[in-house]
Amino acid sequence: MAKKWILSFIGLFIVLTFLFPIYWMVISSIKPAGDIFGDSSIIPKRITFEAYINIFNQQDIRVLSYFKNSLIISFGAMIGTLCLATPAAYAIARRKIKGITLFLLFVLITQMFPSNMLALPLYSMFANIGLLNTYTGVIIANMTLSIPFAILVMRTYFLMIPTALEEAAAIDGCTRWGTFFKIILPLAKPGVFTAGAFSFLLAWGEFLYSLTMLKNNDLWPVTLGMRQFVGQYSTNWSELMALSVVSSLPIIIIFIFTQRYIVSGITAGSTK
Amino acid sequence: MVKQSEFKRIIEKSKDYTFLMPASLFLLLFLVYPIFFNLNLSFRDVNVGNLIQGERELVGLSNYVTVLKDPLFVKALANSIVFTVGTIIFSTCIGFMLALYFNKPFPGNKWMRSILLIAWMTPIIIIGTVFRWMLSGENGIINEILMNIGILSQPNYWLTDTNTALFSVIITNIWISIPFSMVIILSGLQALPGNIYEAAKIDGANRFQQFFYITLPLMKPTLLVLLMLGVIFTFKVFDLIYIMTAGGPADATQVIPFLAYQLSFGMYRFGEGAALSNISFIIIGLFALVYLYFIRREEVM
Repeated sequence: MAKKWILSFIGLFIVLTFLFPIYWMVISSIKPAGDIFGDSSIIPKRITFEAYINIFNQQDIRVLSYFKNSLIISFGAMIGTLCLATPAAYAIARRKIKGITLFLLFVLITQMFPSNMLALPLYSMFANIGLLNTYTGVIIANMTLSIPFAILVMRTYFLMIPTALEEAAAIDGCTRWGTFFKIILPLAKPGVFTAGAFSFLLAWGEFLYSLTMLKNNDLWPVTLGMRQFVGQYSTNWSELMALSVVSSLPIIIIFIFTQRYIVSGITAGSTK
Repeated sequence: MVKQSEFKRIIEKSKDYTFLMPASLFLLLFLVYPIFFNLNLSFRDVNVGNLIQGERELVGLSNYVTVLKDPLFVKALANSIVFTVGTIIFSTCIGFMLALYFNKPFPGNKWMRSILLIAWMTPIIIIGTVFRWMLSGENGIINEILMNIGILSQPNYWLTDTNTALFSVIITNIWISIPFSMVIILSGLQALPGNIYEAAKIDGANRFQQFFYITLPLMKPTLLVLLMLGVIFTFKVFDLIYIMTAGGPADATQVIPFLAYQLSFGMYRFGEGAALSNISFIIIGLFALVYLYFIRREEVM
């Protein structure tokens, strides 16, 4: 029994050492401006939340606006992905259709495309149809990343639902879409939940498409806004770290509540 | 009568397709079409004037020739290979060790291994910024630690020194990739049959023998999948380079995806940018084919 607790103790030590950069991000954000260059001790001597107050009071850098934009883009990408990928994943899991293996293979190949390969043509296309500098454009670009992944993740959950349920529903006169909404979806909730969380997290961290498509800084998400804190000559590290903490907070909160699903989602989406 | 039931069957079948249709149309329009459009652009002279509208002159393979002849391409390719191989080797080895450790039954092991994933889930732009601060030449914590234990005598400017910049970026990327490798390897370990180990113990195999003669060979399929995913993900890393070094200093960290971005959106040589992104797809694709070939051979054996 004692041996097990020693293992736990060493495990905790490994976790803390490995996550030191996260710890250092938080610590650097609550050190007074004078200590950030003077005091390099691992445990800070003085603590202040000045940097957090400062980042929200900047005139030219509007943190709240970046946050709002990140939320709009991430929620948009999540909802769009779920609407399109859920029925597709269901169809693929049931394999009644010709060409389904081809579609699955295609979905796998899409994961090999470098984002650059899409950034340029999408830029040109969106310029022509007026989607540059819009949330919709970036949401669509994000969905090209998350739909294939969401399909792969949800497929494994749909495969676990016995077909007998659908057969019974069909006998009772339920239509295919009726069965899908009333019987299948409630059973596949964890899968939909996982795919949704992934789409949200992917979109929150996405950078290249926002960088190329959003010239108007009113629309910038936090990932783009952060660049403004890296000064040309000197960087205000405590404010930049405070912004990093605030920007990763939604990720960490979502992660803590969904970690069980995230772990199974990673293995389902990449190895099955 | 037969005809009618056949007709009914087709109607029923077509209802199946309504599930697939929305996603298929979306991907055709915003994924497949752009890929071909990109291919088209790579054979044309594309500049600021005609990227959005207007005639684009066909120039054959000249964009590809220009890109391949550029010494910067060779440098970026070499860096990309070092970046990818370095990341994969170390993140797989360390990930394997962590997986073996956290696979042991002890209180809190599940919670601990999933909390490590924070490193992988946090946006790369944020991680890149944090590491930039830690690796800073002025009061960066890495320098402070190394100077305290006597490895360094004076601060090193990790990211602006041409000798250490690529190394520093690779270290950061290894840190990001470790938890992902660990989770994939753990899922493989958990699928291993336990009774083999019982048998090996009875036969007197020690821990190292068990690892090298049982675990490693059985884990080969998992490791191959991980290798494949590693190459696909690592070869296209863009944000980390952008935020940490922007390819510098003196192109010491220039990699293929960042060069492709610079050609298109920095120098407005869109045709060449398109050509380079196609070349990088071909490189990843060739690797995938070699991988599939080995997988097939494995299955036949």
